[in-house]
This record gives sequence, C-alpha cells and structure tokens, in this order.
Amino acid sequence: MAVDKKYETPMLDQLETGPWPSFVKEIKAAGEENPMANDLIGLLEQSYTERLGHWKHGGIVGVMGYGGGVIGRYSDLPEKYPAVSHFHTIRVNQPAGWYYTADVLHKLCDIWDKHGSGLTNMHGSTGDMVLLGCTTPDLEPVFSELTELGFDLGGSGSDVRTPSCCCGQSRCEWACYDTMGLTHFITQKFQDELHRPAFPYKMKFKMSGCPNDCVASIARSDISIIGTWRDEIQINQEEVRNYSKNGVNIVKEIAVLCPGKCIDWDGNEIKIDDSSCRHCMHCINVMPKGLAPGKDRGAVVLMGAKAPIVEGALLSSVIIPFMKIEEPYDDMEFWEVIEEMWDVWCDNGKARERIGEFIQRVGLGNFLDEVGLEPVAEMVAHPRDNPYIFYEDYLEEEDEDE
Amino acid sequence: MAAVEEVRDAMYKMVSGSAGQKKWKATDLHKACIELFGDDYNKRKEGKEAIKELVNSGKLVYTYFGGSFIEVPRVEGAAND
Amino acid sequence: MADAKPQRLTDIGPPHHDRFMPPIIKKNYGKWKYHEIPRPGVLVHTSDSGDKLYTVRAGSPRLLSTKKIRIFADLATKYCGGHLRFTSRHNVEFLLTDAANIDPLIADLDALGHPVGGTGNSITSIVHTQGWVHCHSAATDASGVVKAVMDDVIDEFKTMELPAKLRIALACCLNMCGAVHCSDIAILGIHKRIPQIDLKTLPKLCEIPNLIASCPTNAIRPTTYEGKPSVEIQEDQCMFCANCFTVCPAMPIADPDTDGVSIWIGGKVSNARSEPMFSKLAIPFIPNNPPRWPEVVEAVRMIVDLWKANANKHERVGEWIERIGWPKFFRMSGIPFEKTHIDDFKHAGLTFKRSAHLTY
Repeated sequence: MAVDKKYETPMLDQLETGPWPSFVKEIKAAGEENPMANDLIGLLEQSYTERLGHWKHGGIVGVMGYGGGVIGRYSDLPEKYPAVSHFHTIRVNQPAGWYYTADVLHKLCDIWDKHGSGLTNMHGSTGDMVLLGCTTPDLEPVFSELTELGFDLGGSGSDVRTPSCCCGQSRCEWACYDTMGLTHFITQKFQDELHRPAFPYKMKFKMSGCPNDCVASIARSDISIIGTWRDEIQINQEEVRNYSKNGVNIVKEIAVLCPGKCIDWDGNEIKIDDSSCRHCMHCINVMPKGLAPGKDRGAVVLMGAKAPIVEGALLSSVIIPFMKIEEPYDDMEFWEVIEEMWDVWCDNGKARERIGEFIQRVGLGNFLDEVGLEPVAEMVAHPRDNPYIFYEDYLEEEDEDE
Repeated sequence: MAAVEEVRDAMYKMVSGSAGQKKWKATDLHKACIELFGDDYNKRKEGKEAIKELVNSGKLVYTYFGGSFIEVPRVEGAAND
Repeated sequence: MADAKPQRLTDIGPPHHDRFMPPIIKKNYGKWKYHEIPRPGVLVHTSDSGDKLYTVRAGSPRLLSTKKIRIFADLATKYCGGHLRFTSRHNVEFLLTDAANIDPLIADLDALGHPVGGTGNSITSIVHTQGWVHCHSAATDASGVVKAVMDDVIDEFKTMELPAKLRIALACCLNMCGAVHCSDIAILGIHKRIPQIDLKTLPKLCEIPNLIASCPTNAIRPTTYEGKPSVEIQEDQCMFCANCFTVCPAMPIADPDTDGVSIWIGGKVSNARSEPMFSKLAIPFIPNNPPRWPEVVEAVRMIVDLWKANANKHERVGEWIERIGWPKFFRMSGIPFEKTHIDDFKHAGLTFKRSAHLTY
C-alpha cells in the first residue's frame, strides 16, 4: 500500500530524540508503507497539540460468536484521518510465559501487515499480544488466519480475561509450581468463559511461581495463585559462607530484615526457624546459591484484587492458605470451589462489581458460608476489633421453631 | 431439563422485546429463565447452549458498555461510516 | 448463518508453549538450580545438569511495529536458534546457550537503539497503558510520558546501583489498565472537570438506570430533557472517576485545560521483607505539558535521587518511607502537603495518624 500524505509533526519529532527506544519511531516506521499507521501519526500530533485524545469507544464490533477479544475503537476525526476511522484493538492470547520462535513471530507479522496497522503492543497489561488498529471488515479475516496459525483471541468485557503467569519453572529456580503449565490448562479449561462473557464483570487469573510475584497477581487479579512451600528452606552452608566472604552482611542485610525474625548467623552457619518463616523470599533473593525454597511446594490462593474503579482499589486476600498443584490438574478440587464462587457472584453481584468488591459488600464470612469454605485464621490480618457481631445461633434457633 | 430451543426462543423474546429500554447481561437472562422454567432450567447446560446458538446465528450479539451485554444487532452509536 | 462457514475454528485457545521454548529450556524445565547476574541486563541460570542459559534483556517501548518484531526475530535466529520471549514488563529477552554470543548480541541491540539492562537493583521498563495513541478515556498520553521519563532515568536501567529494585508504572486514567496502584512510583492520569453531558445523544446511547447506578457517590440524578428521561450531575459530589463515561459515552469528561497527572509512591507487589502495599499520593496534580512533560520527569527524578541517597540497602521506596515516616518524606522532598493528601473515601479513618510516633 502506498502512503502519499506526509504530516508535519514538530511535537512528536521531539520524542524521536533521546536514548530510550522511541514509540514514535515505531509508528513512523510502520507508517512508511501503512496508511493506518501514517494517519495515526497525524492524529497523535493533533492530540499532542490540543492535549486531548481523539478516540471513541465502540461497544459492538467483534468476531462472530465471541463477546471478547476485540475492543471497538473509532476516531472522532474520520474525515481528517480516514485510515484510522476504524481502529479496533485485537487481543491475541499469548503463549504462556510469552515465549515465541522467530518463525511464528514472522507469521504473526505477516497476518498483521496484510490486514492491520502494522502496530502492536508486546504485550498488553493483561498479557495478550495486542494488535492495534483494525477495520471492521478485516476482523474476521484476521481471526481466521490467527486460528489457522494456532492462535486464538484473548478476553475482554465481563469474561475470564486472558490468564497470564511468570516464566516459572521454564527459567526460574524459585518457581514452586509449573505456572506455565497451569496457566495453559486454565486458559483451555475456561475457553467458553473466556470468549462468552457471562459474569457481572471481568474475572482475572494470574499465576506467580513464588511470593516475589513477578506478574503482580496480588494487585491485579481476582484469583491470585502464588507459589510457596511449607517445609524447610533448603540451605547450602558452604555457599552461604561464600556470600558472607564476598561482602553480604548476613546479619544486617538478611537477619534484621527478616519479617519472621527467624534467622540466626554466627559467622559460620545460618540457622532458620522455619516454623516462624513468613515465606517472603528476601533471604533467598539475596543468596540464590545458598538458599532455596523447600521441597514440599504448592501455592497460596488469594482473591479479589482490582484497580480503583468502582468502589476503590483492593489487594487480593487469602482464601486457600496452601494447595498442592500437581497434574492431572483436572482432578484438583479447586475448580469446584471456583465454579461455586462464580455461581454466588453471578447470582448476587451487581453490574461492574468485581468479585473482590462483592465480598466486601456481603462480608467475607457470609461469602465463605455460601461457597462452603471454612473460615481459617490465615484469611485475616487480625480478628475483628469491633463488637458489632451478627451472631447467628439466635437466628438459627428461631428458624427451627417455625 | 428445559429444551434448548424453548430457552433460546424465550431468551430472544426477552432481549428483542425490550431492545432500547433494557440491556440484558447473561446473568439476567439466566435469572429470568429460572423464573420461567423453574428447577427444570440449568444455566450451565441449556442456558449456555441457548446463548451460544443465538450469538453464533447472529440473531443476538455481545456488546460492551462498561460491562458485557447481549443485544439485538444494531448500528453502533460511535461507529464512523 | 452459522452453517455458512462450517470450518471456522473457535475456542482453540493459545498454542502450547512447548511449541516455542528453546531445547535447553525443555531439557531443564523445573531443574534450574540458581542464577547469577554477571552484568546488568544479563542473567545466567544454571541447572542441576550443569547446563547454563544466558538471558540478555533489552528495553522496549512496548508499542512495536511489525518491522521491529521481525528484527528481534532475526536477531534471535542469528544468536539463539530463533528463540525469544517477552517479560511481564514489556522487555524482550534473548535466550542464549553460547556465552560468546552475548557481546555481539548486545552490540547489535545497542546499534538498534534498544538498551540492555533492567535486571537486579535497577529501574526496568515502565508498565503503561495506551494514552492518546489508542484510548477513549485517557487523561494524559502514556507512551510520551514514559519515553520522557525513561530518557532521563536510563542510566538506572543500564546499571544496578539502586538500594533495591524500582518499579515505575503509568495509567492514563483511573481505570488503570496498567494497575499501577502498587508501584514504587505510579504516574496516574487525572480528570478534574465534571462530565459534560451530551443531552441530545444520551437517550440514544445510554441506559439511564445503569448510568445512575454507575456513580460510586450517587452524584448522578434522574431528570428530564425535552420531555425525555435524562440525568444531571451534583457537581460537589463528583470525584471525576469517569465510571459514568465508561458506561455511557454521552458523558465525556476529558478536558485539555484541567486534565493532567498525579504521582503516587511507595507501593510494591513483592512479598519480600514487607507485605505488598498500595502506592500513596505524593503529588496531587501536574498539568499535561507535551511532548516531554518536563515537570513529571523532574518529579520522578527527584524522588528517585532522594530515595537512592537515603534508603538502606534492600529498602524499596515504600519501606524507606515507612521507616522515616511520611512527614519526614514531605520535608525532605519539599513537596507541599495539602488537603488532597488526606483520604476522604471509604475507610479514610484507617489512614489517619493514630499515635504519637512522630519525627520532628
């Protein structure tokens, strides 16, 4: 495709300078042949001049049969920049761990050069490969060519959003379970829920292999599955001594900062009282050759994190203190718990109410009752400090009388 | 179990009958069908299947306005020609 | 209609990662023993078998052309059997088995303008949203602010001389597609003018009960306009969250003269040492000043420098401020403390200082 129109871009040109890689250079590179990318340059320069965005949110476009994966986007200046009049986003479900081969990347680029703007995000915040800027008629052809290559769309709207995870056991010695394997399993298990929105609002899963939480699951997902262990930290005393010799002050940098205050260093041997270990990862992070997570590994499940909209930001909180994660994943009782939670949320949740907000509204205790989980002390930072208790034995007695 | 065809037709009637006045979420449709079909209705089976058929056939479409809805196809308010 | 295309594939999900992982990773999956960072941007993972995997991490603007992706792919073919991956913070990583390829690859990446770094105690790539490039609800641009900030702090990307890691994130409105609310430094787009109701198109575009219910402070009230149901806004109850605009496009809220960014600091997601925590408000408002947002860049630089000069080893920004106390942070930074710093939403009382533990 030929691009004849050239835009003057004094504002954006300034963002081509400087040492950090420039997104403007990327858009301009694509715009050399692609009219959509070229018109995006014009539109963006106008936004920079006016300090105002020029996009409208579409709510209807998508591929046939799916309610997720395509975000409708239209410019509010279609006459001036006709090539970006339609500029929809396509979310492509990434392979777990964001691994690619050169060959498959070239093939994905071929599809996108043929049908879209030639611009992408590698990757979007949820984890999808994001194809930026597609016209309505090109949506189906892109989808069909993606599926032929073995790819599918990701989630959007009130559905299971594209699950994502850290690189886990593929390249990290700290991964306490196979995050990529579980992520792939969850993504496949919930394909219907991912493509056909059936919830009050979005539902995100994020899998982190250890409490360092490299995918920010505790801040960003409704279901946060964070790897941990429940036996003793593995110690290689010789390597610990080497760290000490090479300048790590084990008392000051590790023992003092340990949240469980369970580390002792006598200048020769490290001793850990594992019964007080909080599994925070700090000592292991500082001495990866000397210390390692224990061997009885699994995960803690937390739930309910979200950004501020609507009722305020939340971090996930503990719902299952420890769970083994082993194949066959399909045999895990966990899925029944998940479906039970979804039922309670679907039957009682309000529009745009995330499951974390729902739990805040109805109370964690009531939510546990409904879902059939027992309350345990690990679920709270501390027990309640107010005496306004809804004692239920009185109610139950009344019920029996009737 | 309620018949998929029956559920499908009932759902279509609910959505098309209130187009422009009420936006239906999948959860709303399930709730309405429980009222209609009682304990016969299983949202995981015929409920899910009926929605899938309606959307696959193009009679209804998913939309997004701050949350996902199921609507009769219409021209997008924001769309440019 | 469904019968028209019987071959149409759906619900296949993503390809399995086995298709893309390099042989050394398949062989050593779950068997990695420890890792080292011999220099900024390079990780060496050693497995039980003694195999070594060299990862070279390079920065990226996240918004990539297919041209650049093809160049990355070709570099992977040249140096590491065609295998690469991306990180949760938009960096690109090349997975090498031959240590001799590290230097030539880094030279190629440097020539391409993609710096190598972002490991250990550094500032890594900024997680961010779409901004004016592609979003309807943006209160600021995303990529431009990120570019300007990273141009300024790039030395902290290329080295590992900070007290701890530092995570910056940017979201261009309160929807926070970038979920920035647990970052060491969060740059957050802010609207400050109430939505301008488009009374003519509102009945056509929006369902009024839904719209009214969308407001977390009940500021949207039913009314009529030209005989049709409509809404009005109680101005003093609007906190500019734009949730109504998400539900109803006839409630535009963006405004060039009052939109801008706020800066939040001290959040973390890692459990290391202290528990995960939210970022807290440092600077309530900085107007949009494209193309390079110099006031934002200066504020980020000031916070980074202050933390770097004063924090103990391993202390994240939030841990440092917890130790010295927020009043001392405000004194040291010179940021004026204002009414907007005091929470007035739900559970605000929990954020009040409820002790005599003060520094003077």
